[in-house]
Amino acid sequence: MMAARFALDDTTVMVVIGSGAGGGTLANELAQKGIDVVCLEAGSRLTLADVENNPPLMNARMGWNDKRIGPPVWLCKTVGGTTMRWSGITPRFQEHELKARSTYGQLEDSSLIDWPLTLEELAPYYDKAEDKMGVTGTHGIPPSFENNNYKVLKAGGEKIGYKEITSTRTGINSAARDGRPGCLQIGFCNSGCKIGAKWSTLYTEVPKAETTDHFELRTGAMVVKINHDASGKVTGVVYKDAAGNTHEQKARAVAVAGNVVETTRLLLNSASSKFPDGLGNSTGNLGRHYTRHVMSIITAIMPGPVHFNRGTRQSGLILDEQYHKPKRGFAGGYFIETMGMDPGGALPFVGGWGRSTASFMERYSHMAGIFITGEDPSQASNKITLHPTERDQHGLPVPVIEYAMHPNSDAMQKHSIMKSTELYESLGAEDVRASEGIFVGCHNMGAARMSANPDDGVTNRWGQTHDIPNLFVSDGGVFTTSAAANPTLTIVALAIRQADHIAERMGRREL
Amino acid sequence: MNGSVTSRRRFIVAAITLSGLAGTSIGTSFLGPSRAWAQSEDGSDGDSAAMVRMARLLYPHDAIADDVYLDVLNLAMSMTASDGSFAALLDVAIDALNASQSADFVDLDEASQIAVLQSVESQPFFAAIQMNVGVTFYYHPAVWALLGYEGPSFDKGGYLHRGSGDIDWLPEGK
Repeated sequence: MMAARFALDDTTVMVVIGSGAGGGTLANELAQKGIDVVCLEAGSRLTLADVENNPPLMNARMGWNDKRIGPPVWLCKTVGGTTMRWSGITPRFQEHELKARSTYGQLEDSSLIDWPLTLEELAPYYDKAEDKMGVTGTHGIPPSFENNNYKVLKAGGEKIGYKEITSTRTGINSAARDGRPGCLQIGFCNSGCKIGAKWSTLYTEVPKAETTDHFELRTGAMVVKINHDASGKVTGVVYKDAAGNTHEQKARAVAVAGNVVETTRLLLNSASSKFPDGLGNSTGNLGRHYTRHVMSIITAIMPGPVHFNRGTRQSGLILDEQYHKPKRGFAGGYFIETMGMDPGGALPFVGGWGRSTASFMERYSHMAGIFITGEDPSQASNKITLHPTERDQHGLPVPVIEYAMHPNSDAMQKHSIMKSTELYESLGAEDVRASEGIFVGCHNMGAARMSANPDDGVTNRWGQTHDIPNLFVSDGGVFTTSAAANPTLTIVALAIRQADHIAERMGRREL
Repeated sequence: MNGSVTSRRRFIVAAITLSGLAGTSIGTSFLGPSRAWAQSEDGSDGDSAAMVRMARLLYPHDAIADDVYLDVLNLAMSMTASDGSFAALLDVAIDALNASQSADFVDLDEASQIAVLQSVESQPFFAAIQMNVGVTFYYHPAVWALLGYEGPSFDKGGYLHRGSGDIDWLPEGK
């Protein structure tokens, strides 16, 4: 491996901030095209030897647990970002979801708009993303192994009349592929995959980029500010290294991929006299329209053993509820996906205390689990801002997350819990519990949304900020609306597409 | 941190040696090494007993010994040792549980103890303690056998050939 080294004053490099699904993919795609990239990652670089079947330990080792105010989010500060932690399920968005405003109308108190691109434009990039990630059921890749939790989901789903139940659409190798092994059903997917069967940029995009002469990864590099010149174009980024020393890396263009919350914070913290409200924020949309998906975890005590710890957390899903069927009492749809958990991970979703909770937990071996992810309408009042006085260890304002569920989301969550309960009860479940209300923010979206009209969003259809031509956003923040699907596949597809666009613009000397 | 936050925490230091679990390295196998809690002078056995009792009533498993609940409290504190946040919550809890009736919390009968917990259930400290104790408790390897949880699996080769798809009681599918 012959990784490149670039000088701090090299003004020809593209700087990519973050090495996860968005940043890691974009950086590799650009490097493969011969564009010089410096990738700055706040975390450290783990190896598979550092991965242990130990959720609290791995959370400490790779989680981004710095101070934030508001409902919790599930970020990672490590090479690979949240691709180290994600569960691996990869449905695509649907055509109508990219036209949320046109399809659903302007729901009261929502700020829905249509995406400035169509599914037809996105489809070839979904193909490339699925190939890159080794998504089961695509490109001739066999379906995922049907573990017990999936078999329960499938049997119950069939009993209550669902037709589209599949153990495909997971970015976890079902057989050896691309230099990585097939899944051994180890479990602990959210603690990093010990064998690298689950796609993560740590051991795919990053080392592939390093085989070119066009990529340098700097770890422990916490970016604190993006600089610009008098014309308003960005010129470089200021970061602190692991020892706390400050550097500026000059740049031809900059892409930010800090899983929405950190992206927003950085752009706000980069405010200047020219951009007093932060970079990309001339229309006041930065940090707003923040979405998290409608989520719930439903656990059931089944009449026989399930041992849902035995294998991948997410091994399959039901598609039937993903469609827009307003007769259900809400706009948009949701997915019903498997969710296997260890006891400590299950407890917060089982909820409660006392004898009934203890009794539920004592029947852990009979537990089956579902994860819901569904469309969450954009609201301008759901936003990420900077705290006026609280500072982190770098002296930077900490982020404040304000998020409330839209009535449409409440209705969808109730429906999804009702259907999941029906599914498990059809098989004789003894007891069913569901988590209600706001879920941990494991899907962050919308805070730098793409819009056709600059008045409505932060970025255009390429993730390029409306205000600054050489500043891009490359994470879920660019999602115009949330759709129902887990976001990683779409983040990767958009990053591949963005790389094509950036290379083309650079080729025309427009960047 | 303010000295008063940790002033009652002496019992937790004792927990490490009292737990009798050192031989199985409970504290270190899953959560990383436990740090001994800063020792201070005015801890009392009553506080220790009250907190163990509270932990047990939150997640009552008759087959689990008090030592495990004590170890869970210790682990929850060691994980927040840098800011003392869990220790501070316990201080609030001790005061709240003892304030609401004439006798000390530990001297009440079980029904009365549960009633006391229910009376403080809506206070912010309660939810924070409940979540910390619950998650730490169910991540504790001493609890797993009772639940039928099998623990880390990589060193055994995962479950692909060890029962990942062995369910046999489902109705025949199409």
